[in-house]
Amino acid sequence: MTQMQAKQILVPVALTALGAAALYGGALNTGPYWQVVALTLAMWIALIQSWSVFSGLTGYISLGHAVAYGLGAYLMATQFREYPVWVLVPAGGLLAGAFALIVAIPVLRIRGPYFVILTFGLSELVKFALLRLETALGASSRLLFGAPGTVELLTWMIALAAAATLLRHFVGISRFGRGLIAIREDETAAETLGVPVTRYKVLAFALSAVIPGMVGAVMALRSTYFEVLQVFSPTLSFTIVTMAIIGGSGDARGPVLGALFLVSLSEGLRGASPQLYLVLLGICLIAFVLFAPNGLTGLLSGRRK
Amino acid sequence: MLDTLLSGQLLFSVAVLGALYALIGLGLNLVFGTMRLLNIAHGDFLMLGAYSGFWWFTLTGISPLIALPLTALGGAAIGLTLYALVFRQQLAKGLDPAVIEARSLLLFFGISVVIQNLTAMAFTATPRAYRHLDTVYQLGETAMTGNRIATLIVALTILGAMLVFLNRTLFGMEIKALIQHREAARIVGININRVQMVSIAVGFGTVAISGSLLSMTEQVTPFMGFRFTIAAFVVIIMGGLGNILGGIVAGFLLAIIEIYAVTIFSAEARSILIYGAFVAILIISPQGLLGRARR
Repeated sequence: MTQMQAKQILVPVALTALGAAALYGGALNTGPYWQVVALTLAMWIALIQSWSVFSGLTGYISLGHAVAYGLGAYLMATQFREYPVWVLVPAGGLLAGAFALIVAIPVLRIRGPYFVILTFGLSELVKFALLRLETALGASSRLLFGAPGTVELLTWMIALAAAATLLRHFVGISRFGRGLIAIREDETAAETLGVPVTRYKVLAFALSAVIPGMVGAVMALRSTYFEVLQVFSPTLSFTIVTMAIIGGSGDARGPVLGALFLVSLSEGLRGASPQLYLVLLGICLIAFVLFAPNGLTGLLSGRRK
Repeated sequence: MLDTLLSGQLLFSVAVLGALYALIGLGLNLVFGTMRLLNIAHGDFLMLGAYSGFWWFTLTGISPLIALPLTALGGAAIGLTLYALVFRQQLAKGLDPAVIEARSLLLFFGISVVIQNLTAMAFTATPRAYRHLDTVYQLGETAMTGNRIATLIVALTILGAMLVFLNRTLFGMEIKALIQHREAARIVGININRVQMVSIAVGFGTVAISGSLLSMTEQVTPFMGFRFTIAAFVVIIMGGLGNILGGIVAGFLLAIIEIYAVTIFSAEARSILIYGAFVAILIISPQGLLGRARR
C-alpha cells in the first residue's frame, strides 16, 4: 500500500472510527442529557454528509432532503407494529433512495437556481399530497408505542453518521466523485469529456437520499410521534443547507464542523425561543455566503496557507 | 354545472385573485429581470405589507387603502436598504449571472428566515384579521364585498400605471432595456445603478401594497408569505422570466386554474395544485410558456 493510499483510506477510516467511538463512549458515560446532544449531533452529521454527497459535489443545491427524511419516518410510523426496527430502518433508506431515483430523471434536467426552487416546491408538493392522504385515512397524527430507548437509537445514529462520513469521503476521492466535481465546474465540458453526466447525477441524487431516509426512520422512534407537517419540514432542509455552507463542502470535514457549529448554537440558546435560534441561523447563512463562501473549512485552510 | 363555472361570482373571484397575482409577480419579475436576483423572500415582504395594513387599521383606525402610499414607501425603503447593504456590491463585482442567481437565492433564503422569525417574535405567530369594507354589494347574481372591489380596482390601476410607465416613459424604457440586455444598456449610457435602485424600490413597494390589500380579506401571519412566493414564481416562469406583460397574463391564468380547481375539487386541493403547477411548469418548460424576454 502506497503512502497516498494510506492517507486517503486508512487515515479517514481511523479518524471516523475514533470520532464515532469517542462520541459513543463519551455519551454513555455522561448521562441522558449528553446522550440526547450526541444523538442530535450524529443526526446532523449524517444528514449533512449525505446532502454533501450530491449537492456538495455537484453544486446542485437540494432543498428537498426533508422528503427523504420524512419518507423514512413515515414508513417507520406506519409499519412499526408490523416489522422489527432493524428491518424498517434500512427499508426507510431504500424507500427514500427509490423515491429519489424516480424523481431524479425529470428533476435533474433542470439546472442552477431553478433546480433549487424546484426541489423546494417538490418537497412542499409531497408534503401536502401526503397530508391529504393521511387526512383521507383519518390519521392526522400517529403515535409509536414501545419505541427503543435513547442508547439503542444513539447506536443507530452514530453508525449512520459514520457511514455517511465514509460515504462522503470515498465518493469524493473516487472516479465517480471526480466526475461529479467536473459536473459542478462545467457540466457541458464534463459531458464533452465523456463523463456520463446524467447517470452520475441520478446515482448521486439517489445515494444522497438513502441515509436521510434511515435517519428519519430512527428519529420517528425518538419522537414517538408522527405528523406530516412537522416531519416534512422546510426548516429541516434549510438547516441542512445552512450548515453545509457554514461548514464548507470541500471535503468530509466540512459537514462535521457545520454540525458541531449548529449543535453548539442550539445548546447555547437552550431556553431561548426557537425563533431567535432561526433568526441567528439565517444571519449566519447570510454572513457566510457574503464573507466566507467556502465555509469554516475554507477559513481554516486559508489561515494555514 | 357550466352555469356555475361561468357564474359572475367565480369570474369576479378570478379577477380579484388574478390582479393580485399579476401585481405580486410584477415585483418579482422587475427585481429578477434587471438584476437576476432570485428573491425567494418575495412573499415575506408581502407579509410585512399585510402587517402594515393590519396595524394601520387596528392602531389608528386609518384604512389600509389610505395608508397604501406609506406601506409602499416602507417596502421600497426595505428594498433599497437591502440593495445598499448586500446586493449592490455583489452586482458590481461583474460576476457570472448564474453565480449571482445562486448566491442571491441563498441570501434571500437567509433573509426570508430572519424576517419570518423576527416578525413572529415581534407580533407572535397568532393569525390576525380585521373587518374593513365588508359590506356586500349585489350586482345581478354576483355578491361582492367592498374590500375585494377595492383590491381589484387598486391592483388594476397599479398594473395599468406600471405598463404605461414601462412602455411610454424614458425611464421605464431604460428598465426594459436593462432587462433585455445588460451590457448593451450600459454601452448606450444607461445609469445601471439608478435603474436597479428604482426597480428594487418599485418591486418591493408593489409587493407591500399587494400584502396590504390582501390583509383586508385574509388572515395575517408571519408565515403566510411562502405560498405567495411560490405563486409569484409560477407567474413569472409561466409568463417568461423578465417578460412583464407575459407575467400579468400568467397571473390571471394562475388565478383561473386555482379558483376553478378549488370549486371543482376542494379548498384543500389548493396547496397541492399550486405546488403541482409550479413543479410541472419548471420541469416542462423552465423558459416559460409565454416566451422569454430577449436578452
